[in-house]
Amino acid sequence: MIRRGFQAVIRLGHHRVLPGAPHILPRLNRTSAFGSSTDSLVSRFCLEKTDLKDYALPNASWCPDMLNLYQEFLEKTKTDGWIKLPSFKSNRDHIQGLKLPFGLAATSDKSDWRIFTRCLQVEGQGYEYVIFFHPSRKKSICLFQPGPYLEGAPGFAHGGSLAAMMDETFSKTAYLAGEGLFTLSLNIRFKNLIPVGSLAVLNVDVEKIEDQKLYMSCIAQSRDQQRVYAKSSGVFLQLQLEEELSQ
Amino acid sequence: MLRSCVSRLRMLAVLGGPPGVAPLPAKDPWSPRRSFSSEVIHMDLSLPNPSWSEDMRLLFDQFMKKSEDGSWKHLPSYKSKFTQRTEDIKIYFPDAKLMKEKLSQAQLFPRSFEEGLGFEYAMFHNCVEDRTVCIFQGGPYLQGVPGFLHGGAIATMIDATLGMCAIVAIGFAMTASLNISFKRPIPLGSVVVINSQVDKVEGRKLFLSCNIRSVDEKTVYSEATSLFVKLDPKTRLT
Repeated sequence: MIRRGFQAVIRLGHHRVLPGAPHILPRLNRTSAFGSSTDSLVSRFCLEKTDLKDYALPNASWCPDMLNLYQEFLEKTKTDGWIKLPSFKSNRDHIQGLKLPFGLAATSDKSDWRIFTRCLQVEGQGYEYVIFFHPSRKKSICLFQPGPYLEGAPGFAHGGSLAAMMDETFSKTAYLAGEGLFTLSLNIRFKNLIPVGSLAVLNVDVEKIEDQKLYMSCIAQSRDQQRVYAKSSGVFLQLQLEEELSQ
Repeated sequence: MLRSCVSRLRMLAVLGGPPGVAPLPAKDPWSPRRSFSSEVIHMDLSLPNPSWSEDMRLLFDQFMKKSEDGSWKHLPSYKSKFTQRTEDIKIYFPDAKLMKEKLSQAQLFPRSFEEGLGFEYAMFHNCVEDRTVCIFQGGPYLQGVPGFLHGGAIATMIDATLGMCAIVAIGFAMTASLNISFKRPIPLGSVVVINSQVDKVEGRKLFLSCNIRSVDEKTVYSEATSLFVKLDPKTRLT
């Protein structure tokens, strides 16, 4: 049962007719991965040639665990089909050339808007993270190190900060695996606290894609997998973004 | 029931502020915030500031008015939970004393932002009906899909509001699970009202739920249910 609000959104996305302009994106083909293929989504998302700052790169605040695991996965990007996702200041930077949902005009773009997980930009203060995505396995791994400004209980990361990191990893995975755009639901079971400044590894899998929804699961644990921090599941709504017409 | 609620609210005020400091009187919310030159962390951040929109100020005034007869109470909110050592923190986090130096740079997550950029919120508790209301304005640093609040930011506010509701009900409690259903995206910069309540208490388990609505209550943005667990002083958390 799709909620009314989102029902309207789906209709907008599918049937928007532009007077006199051809549909640039391929027609919906339910047998394939929604509209665009994962490969084309990834190459557009990753913006290989860009001046934009990529925040998902090592810096002095990263703990040794995080640096080591990062190097391990960097190797896997050469041999095993993994891709390191860039992380820009705003989601708008990742979807250049595509229209924003709900017909939001470009004039409403305010320069100080930024994505929540890059809200604290002083190194090591807030979210330090990098996401690796595997297109064919539809999996993601997020290396997450919460800083002292994400505190909840003294010395430990706020539950909300982990929820946000899970939502963000779900969000990027859903987008690249099947143009998932909005979170429909999030279910998180917290098991143990994450000490501030330590590494948490989030493993995300796409369980199924059905009825224009992507279903994903996530386990957040310590690097040696001995300590589970939380388990969660998320459902995202697919929404195809249309090309912006060149003027 | 009312007496224990009030005593817990007093404990909350102590937890975050220096002794002997009373919250600002209800009739004068516009006077400058009390601040201490050496310890800015003692400012109550749940009070109006220039970044608050008109909707936010109006709502705040409405609730402050309701607080005049004592049925509602404004809950103060500080940059850190660790501004002052209290017996509660020592019991549950025995190592916290050793970490004090490291923690002096720590900040409570939803209060880690400069004015207007992140979470602007104020919470009010209704002692009679035992529910907590949070008025929340999300700033430009909380973006997800361009133009809307990030799902994680919404989850953080839900966790914070339910957490406060739980603490007032049974004391020191932590989130065990959160189940959020997002119905409509929340536009960045808008004001929403989070209504939370305790549904059931089973020993140390507390079941709470909340919904997020627009100011006119016509739009439901999200709904959530959760389980919080009261901490057992005998069990260490690490």
